[in-house]
Amino acid sequence: MKTWRDVARYHLLVPRPLLLMPWVVLTAGFLVNLQSAIRAPASRHSAAYAAHHNTGGAAVIYFYFFVIGVIIIGRSLPFGLTLGASRRSYYAGTAALGVALAVADGLALAALQAVERATDGWGVGLNFFRAPYILDGPWYQTWLTSFVGLALVFVYGMWFATVYRRWSLVGVVAFSIAQVVVVTVAILALHSAGAWSGVGHFFAGLTAVGLTGLFAGLAALLLAGGQATIRRATV
Amino acid sequence: MTPAISVTGLTRRYRDHLALDEVTFEVEAGSIVGLLGRNGAGKTTLLRILAGQEFPSSGGALVHGGRPAENEAVLRRLVFVREDQTYPDIRVRHALLAASWFYPNWSAELADALLADFGLPAGRMVKRLSRGMRSALGIAIGLAARAEVTLFDEPYAGLDAVARQIFYDRLLADYAEHPRTILLSTHLIDEAAGLLERVIVIDRGRIVLTADADDLRGVATAVSGPVLAVDEFTAGRAVWGRRRLIGQSSVVVVGALDEADRVRAGSLHLDLAPLTLQQLVVQAAGQPAGARERTSA
Repeated sequence: MKTWRDVARYHLLVPRPLLLMPWVVLTAGFLVNLQSAIRAPASRHSAAYAAHHNTGGAAVIYFYFFVIGVIIIGRSLPFGLTLGASRRSYYAGTAALGVALAVADGLALAALQAVERATDGWGVGLNFFRAPYILDGPWYQTWLTSFVGLALVFVYGMWFATVYRRWSLVGVVAFSIAQVVVVTVAILALHSAGAWSGVGHFFAGLTAVGLTGLFAGLAALLLAGGQATIRRATV
Repeated sequence: MTPAISVTGLTRRYRDHLALDEVTFEVEAGSIVGLLGRNGAGKTTLLRILAGQEFPSSGGALVHGGRPAENEAVLRRLVFVREDQTYPDIRVRHALLAASWFYPNWSAELADALLADFGLPAGRMVKRLSRGMRSALGIAIGLAARAEVTLFDEPYAGLDAVARQIFYDRLLADYAEHPRTILLSTHLIDEAAGLLERVIVIDRGRIVLTADADDLRGVATAVSGPVLAVDEFTAGRAVWGRRRLIGQSSVVVVGALDEADRVRAGSLHLDLAPLTLQQLVVQAAGQPAGARERTSA
């Protein structure tokens, strides 16, 4: 029962893309935003301005986590299976590593958000780590939401790469189309049922924590989908 | 005793071709077996199924009595070295380190010794290795794992003759100290012949020959000389190929020759040359479909 841990260690043989790169990407995005905030008129260097203007720059780290999810399956699976890991252990170890990274990086994001808040947006009214509604609560709520969000995009990326492993490019195209179809059908069904106001009320009443819960459920669904897909993947 | 490898009615069908067709054989524990056949004969598919990397369409393969796919009890006792292995962006020593975590009998000393033998730089990125060096890395992992079942699929692509000899020597030396079951697929048949205790010849997805290597020595003999003398000598015998060239003829006679045969051949001024393992495999697997004639010895 320790194979999944060996799989996680195996991924960490190349630590840079997992531990360092997310922060390189985030730092680059931050510096660009900081630069433009500094050059902005001084009237904007206030907490009041920052409260209503968001760069949403921290989203780059979510995008990067999606990318890691893709490459961690695509590049490392063949040798992992050759070493004698089962697909089950490989998937469990990889997902566990992704979740652990999401926990750690989510905590760092919450800490940076606290600093941003305490310094009135790094002294120049920059709103990089805050986002209204979803990332606007106390630090532990930001931690929770960031962690769930990072884990969600990670397992989404893993599922894409697993589909590619099993059915190659045709599979990925079909998989993408299927997602569009599912969403479209859901929208049409809601529309024909005249249920939009109900949906509106649901989301209007939904707190950030509630939305985080929805994300967590979605992540669990994607995780199960990837697991079902990798069971018959070949290398 | 449970055989180390037991394959029954194993079939693997891809959309447009049949890679394995009702393959059945067993390999006893503690032997070195050659898996021989032409390109595309199905050797790699067979080994991938044994290693749990591919799934059968029907039939099955058991390793130490268990199905390999998704079965870590089996996978931990098995190592598979494949010619086309892809590695993540890691260094040579990382690949060996990872292998040491997964194989319970891993020998770090042997891995280091093999690295030195092959001149493999431990700090080099695997993707920067030449083809031969990459093969050497696979061999180092395959031998140092000391897994009970060791599968080598064309392990020495790109390796020079000296390095191949190192592989044979190391394999035999370590096998003597740590017996295990080794299934070796190779094109360099005569080179590996001395190593093999048993051979399995596969052609177009079917097993065409399984035999002890000793039993194959002298099982067929090329008889050559004047046409008339050859015809006289081979009359009534099972023969494989027949080649003629201006008054001379060469015929492969199937079945062992006794002393009286040799004396007679000498008096007829015939040359006798026992077929090498490679020539036998060419006979067994080298014929176009449907043209295989009189292969019963």
